[in-house]
Amino acid sequence: MSAHNESILREPLITGENITYSKITDDVLVPVENKPNKAWWIGFTVAALFALLWVVSVGYTFYVGIGAWGLNKTVGWAWDITGFVWWVGIGHAGTLISAVLLLFRQNWRNSINRSAEAMTIFAVICAATYVVSHMGRPWLAYWPLPLPNQFGSLWVNFNSPLVWDVFAISTYFSVSLVFWYTGLLPDIATIRDRAAGVRKKIYTILSFGWAGSVKNWQRFEAVSLILAGISTPLVLSVHTIVSMDFATSLEPGWHTTIFPPYFVAGAIFSGFAMVQTLLLVVRKVMNFENYITMFHIESMNKIIIVTGSIVGVAYLTELFIAWYSGVEYEQYAFLNRVSGPYWWAYWSMMTCNVISPQLFWFKKIRTSITASWILSIVVNIGMWFERFVIIVTSLHRDYLPSSWVMFYPSIVDVCVFLGSIGLFFTLFLLFLRVLPAIAIAEVKLLLKSASDQVKQKQIAEGHVKKEEGEAYQESLTKYDSVDYLKV
Amino acid sequence: MESNKKYWKGLEELKTTPEFVENNKGEFAESLPIEEILSDAGLKAPTPRRDFLKAMGFGLGAVTLAACQKAPVHKSIPYLIKPEEVTPGVANYYVSSYKGHGILVKTREGRPIKLEGNPACILGEGRLDAVTQASILDLYDVSKLKDPKLDGKDATWASVDTFVKGELNKIQAGGKKIRIVSSTVNSPSTNKVIADFVAKYPNTRHVQVDAVSYSGILGANQASFGRAVLPHYHFDRADVIVSFGADFLGTWISPLEFNRQYVVNRNLASLKNKKMSRHVQFEAGMSMTGTNADVRVALKPSEEGLALLNLYAVLGGGGSAPKLSNAKAATALGLVAKELLAAKGRALVVSGSNDIATQTIVNNINTLLGSYGTTIDITNPSYQYLGNDADFVTLIAEMQRGEVDGIFFLDSNPAYNSVLPKEFAEGLYKVKLKVSFSERLDETAALCNVIAPVPHFLETWGDANAVAGYYTIVQPTINPVHNTRQAEQSLLIWSDNAIKNYYQYVKNNWETSILPGAGLSWKQLLQTGVVNSGAGANAPAAASNAAPAVNAGNAAQAILAASAALAKGGESVTELTIYESVGLRDGSYANNAWLQELPDPVSKVTWDNYVALNPKYADKLGVTEFDLVEVKADNYSVVLPVLYQPGQAIGTASIAVGYGRTKAGKVGDEVGKNAYPFLKLQNGSLQNAVAVTISAAGGKRELAQTQTHHSYEGRNIIRETTFNKYVQDPHSGTGKHGEHPTYDLWPEHKQIGHSWVMAIDLNACTGCGACVVACNVENNIPVVGRDEVIKRREMHWIRIDRYYSFQDDQGASLTKEDQIGDLAEGDSTLEDVTVINQPMLCQHCDHAPCETVCPVIATMHSSDGLNHMAYNRCVGTRYCANNCPYKVRRFNWFNYWNDSRFDNYMNNEFTQLVLNPDVTTRSRGVMEKCTMCIQRIQGGKLQAKIEKRPLRDLEIQTACQQTCPTNAIIFGDRFDPNSAVSKALGNERTYYVLEELNVQPGIGYQTKVRNTTEAQQA
Repeated sequence: MSAHNESILREPLITGENITYSKITDDVLVPVENKPNKAWWIGFTVAALFALLWVVSVGYTFYVGIGAWGLNKTVGWAWDITGFVWWVGIGHAGTLISAVLLLFRQNWRNSINRSAEAMTIFAVICAATYVVSHMGRPWLAYWPLPLPNQFGSLWVNFNSPLVWDVFAISTYFSVSLVFWYTGLLPDIATIRDRAAGVRKKIYTILSFGWAGSVKNWQRFEAVSLILAGISTPLVLSVHTIVSMDFATSLEPGWHTTIFPPYFVAGAIFSGFAMVQTLLLVVRKVMNFENYITMFHIESMNKIIIVTGSIVGVAYLTELFIAWYSGVEYEQYAFLNRVSGPYWWAYWSMMTCNVISPQLFWFKKIRTSITASWILSIVVNIGMWFERFVIIVTSLHRDYLPSSWVMFYPSIVDVCVFLGSIGLFFTLFLLFLRVLPAIAIAEVKLLLKSASDQVKQKQIAEGHVKKEEGEAYQESLTKYDSVDYLKV
Repeated sequence: MESNKKYWKGLEELKTTPEFVENNKGEFAESLPIEEILSDAGLKAPTPRRDFLKAMGFGLGAVTLAACQKAPVHKSIPYLIKPEEVTPGVANYYVSSYKGHGILVKTREGRPIKLEGNPACILGEGRLDAVTQASILDLYDVSKLKDPKLDGKDATWASVDTFVKGELNKIQAGGKKIRIVSSTVNSPSTNKVIADFVAKYPNTRHVQVDAVSYSGILGANQASFGRAVLPHYHFDRADVIVSFGADFLGTWISPLEFNRQYVVNRNLASLKNKKMSRHVQFEAGMSMTGTNADVRVALKPSEEGLALLNLYAVLGGGGSAPKLSNAKAATALGLVAKELLAAKGRALVVSGSNDIATQTIVNNINTLLGSYGTTIDITNPSYQYLGNDADFVTLIAEMQRGEVDGIFFLDSNPAYNSVLPKEFAEGLYKVKLKVSFSERLDETAALCNVIAPVPHFLETWGDANAVAGYYTIVQPTINPVHNTRQAEQSLLIWSDNAIKNYYQYVKNNWETSILPGAGLSWKQLLQTGVVNSGAGANAPAAASNAAPAVNAGNAAQAILAASAALAKGGESVTELTIYESVGLRDGSYANNAWLQELPDPVSKVTWDNYVALNPKYADKLGVTEFDLVEVKADNYSVVLPVLYQPGQAIGTASIAVGYGRTKAGKVGDEVGKNAYPFLKLQNGSLQNAVAVTISAAGGKRELAQTQTHHSYEGRNIIRETTFNKYVQDPHSGTGKHGEHPTYDLWPEHKQIGHSWVMAIDLNACTGCGACVVACNVENNIPVVGRDEVIKRREMHWIRIDRYYSFQDDQGASLTKEDQIGDLAEGDSTLEDVTVINQPMLCQHCDHAPCETVCPVIATMHSSDGLNHMAYNRCVGTRYCANNCPYKVRRFNWFNYWNDSRFDNYMNNEFTQLVLNPDVTTRSRGVMEKCTMCIQRIQGGKLQAKIEKRPLRDLEIQTACQQTCPTNAIIFGDRFDPNSAVSKALGNERTYYVLEELNVQPGIGYQTKVRNTTEAQQA
């Protein structure tokens, strides 16, 4: 064996033959610089139709009042806040990928962070639409903001978790947007440099005068790190505060200290599932298989197992604490979840969120694209049910049995939700058309071709001991999770 | 090069003399005489130019901004000459009366907006029931007639008068009969008008017929005492009350009065003296009275007469009755007999039957118990119901024979509510002159050729004599809104009476016959409203009116025959009882949206009638809840949904009358089905129990219930005890275990001056719903309609929660859904149900969970302990409602006052006149809830301030408290140790609902105490 132990070469994060910097640029900008294909048009048409449905159903709600929904005297929130929390949760993966993984130097994030961040922004937009549309008087939606006003000494209620929520969501949205846009600058400049005509003008403005100078890059790196530092607490804080919308209340089933970590884990869980749902399609349709590799898919699946298990433990803890607390209302709330009239929602949640991600323990499933995609959808369904279970099954039977009711969604409830999905996909598909779905500049950092080429050359020229050379060659496949050449 | 040349204006500048420097400071070297010039022109010029420009700029800006606001256009007509007694913003109260109950009418700017009881009224003592509270809405009913009609076309009064008079003369000349058909008339003046009319047209007879009839009691009293009257009952003097199917707290004869009397021996004061009456109820359907009974025994209608005969025999009345097959009832009856005998002279037995024979036995029983002269007053009887069923049958026969040529319907609608609608319509067809004095085009008016529409009682003069010796006056509080005329006025005109003006007529009548005895002037009467002359209803009745027991033999025979006939079909038939619902009563209130949306006190159903079946029996019939079933009698059938009613006797069903109107108006048409034709005329009176068959009709119809979960799950929100436990320890059942430390997360609210709180006595609340309607009226609460109630969106600020519980074999209470489910699976008949009513409204918590979560501080605490709601600030996140443990907050899902889908009440401009101007109507998207009638609190405080005195206790009363017939609700200031509420809350029985949450609710409840059989024997 060799006298010294050489660090094995990591599995390359970008696969494919003859990758060069220019090839990366060409590959990634294909959808941006060419006319959209048929698949895009079909997707966009369907999404836009649903977005239109959203406009109609929310417009109808604004016109007649919240009575258009299925809510009642006991259940004051249902599909609206379920949808809100669901979307905010989905948004979480973006921040986690862009900020936390950056700080931890998880370079594999570079292939997926752009789309994930875009997804975050669009998901938070969808969540924000729910914040406004669920209000009885949406034209006064700015009142929960602490704005100077002429209503006398009226101020917002800083005790109210809804006000915290306003701060949390707006901070989250603005930081995410800035982070995303900062990361986009070099890439926009790349498009600018290759574009002509009106497009060039637009991208020139959008690129903020990026020149690609050393100073530009230095500042870019610094800003990215600073923003990552700012964003990292947000990963924890946003969903913590969303959870406090429930945890600070008196409702049995809501009034729970476990909520913050449980919600954060759930949010990351659902966020990664949504990233999977989107990117598995994107990489196929846009031929990004070399950039979003099986390694990425597998890594994200691993995160899904971990967060899914955390969520599962949280569910069981809730049940235990309800029993252990001896509080009859708390006990009933959970008994009612498990075996009450909405038992099917609880068990859908349990199946989708706790049982199904455990399938990812099998490597075969974890590395199967079809299985990953289906399970990612299952997880998203499960997470929707989680929020539905928390909100509706807690509210519909609380303290006074005289007020116990059932909640049935109206057609408008369903349309607003489907419409919000349409809105999300409309925005996402537009994003794919006008901005690079993969961070070109950051992906280029991952090209390890130079060192491999040198090593191979050394081996070929006999500068390396035979066994070391063999060990090196072996390491290329031995520690790989996949035979990337086949992918 | 720039020039440095300088030109001097003059030598002064060159020399810079001090004068030059001084003069050069200003704009002009010499001062200009602007001031003088302007002041010569009468102007002043201290305003410098810049200020002028500022003012102009601001003015222009302000005017522009002001012009941007679209000023709302309000249509209003100012008083040209202000009437002396009307001050805008200040309410005037007038006395009047409704159905013999003295009332106060609150008017604002000339329009009546609220009714309250007249404290001088001996029946209500200042309280009103739900229907009277709601009756004001009928004044603003858009479905009423606006003009008289002749042969279906709008006509003038002159043409109507000519036509009717001509016809009357023809009939008179032809020797044909004239009939005036009315419901009970106890108004002395109306009776005199009718007498005058009869004198003019001697072929006339006045037929009184009540939709819900008391002919049975009248007939029995005719037999026993020779007087066809209702006795005046005194439940307050009874220590033992046994009722056989009489819903005396809900609908029977005079429920408001009976509620008040009943609670006298069961309320806070009585319990403090360790005294509580005992009430046993035998009945088939679950009535409101049944929910309050200490012991309730389910009994089929066919067994009711037998039970009475058995009781009569046991009490020593002689005769032998066949044994009751119902073992439970037989045991109960044995115990009851002992208790009744022990309470001789303080006992009362009543029956809801309309059968003469049955009521005769009841009379005999009461005679044996010495009730006459103590708990029953027959000397000074009640005139609340005088209708005779047999008279109406005679009338139909006369009409069918073509003997009647003229008929007048006064407050009577036989085409809807008679037992023989078809025969009636056929007979009526043969009558030439058919005059309806109806306020709407109702079922009978539609068959008439003359409609002489009458105004609402708040637009009329009149009087009433509900109980012997007790007279009340009806005075108008508003000019007739439509082109209507009082029936009495019409009759005066048509009979060419010397006095054509009914006001004059009433005045004359009172001044000659009633006022002299009372020593009152007409003016005084219009201020006091009532005259309680001589033999007042509350005076102890003479013992001499005890009845000789009539021979019970014949009555017993009739009862046995009727029971046998009813039970003849055996298992294959169901015994159906027809009852009056607390909200709609006989159906005359069908177009009243408040009453349609008032939940039934027992079933909590709104906007429908239904077939009440015991769940166990429904199982046997193969139907489930909300299934449509066909209920078929010999000659009539209806299809109605099933309601599971625990406590309903097995083998029986109940259907309420008052529904199924076809011409009531846009609110009441086609709500439910008509049950009147099920009634059976037998032995001279209408029997309210008939044998029917029930079969599934296919399909379902969900009933709009405001409460769908009926057990309280063993939660300590309901706390109760038994009477003997209470006597041993007044704290029993309250769950109090000494003091414990409390911890607060929030700083305490500073309360200064007052701290408004409430006490609600669960033992006094009978669940009648008067508070719900009073609150609707006072606080402009929207009516949402059946579909929205099904969606669970009713807007009531106060509701009455009603819970059922059962007992297992060991006597332990079963309150949980699954326990009751197990019970239902077993042998239990679900007949022995215990019921509790709990009024629930905003608890005005000192640590209100709603307040902390509102993002915009739209709900906050006041300095006097109230939880305020600022509608204008609310953005409608609904978090407060979610976080309210009592679920009392109500959200405006729609714009109820401006949305054509809610066209039953507030959406109409005319009906909007009933709204209380002191209370904002809420727009859509805002939360609302009980304010503890803050407008009344502010009004009371202002009044005290004006009069420079401290507030007096009970000076401010909330609407619910004010109307509560049993005084179960007490509102007041906690800081005043002598206030009624402080005393009530200091009572040992007090507990707070969900007090363990430390929300510090402001409403204390007093435990329910049950005088159970066990309690009696212990």
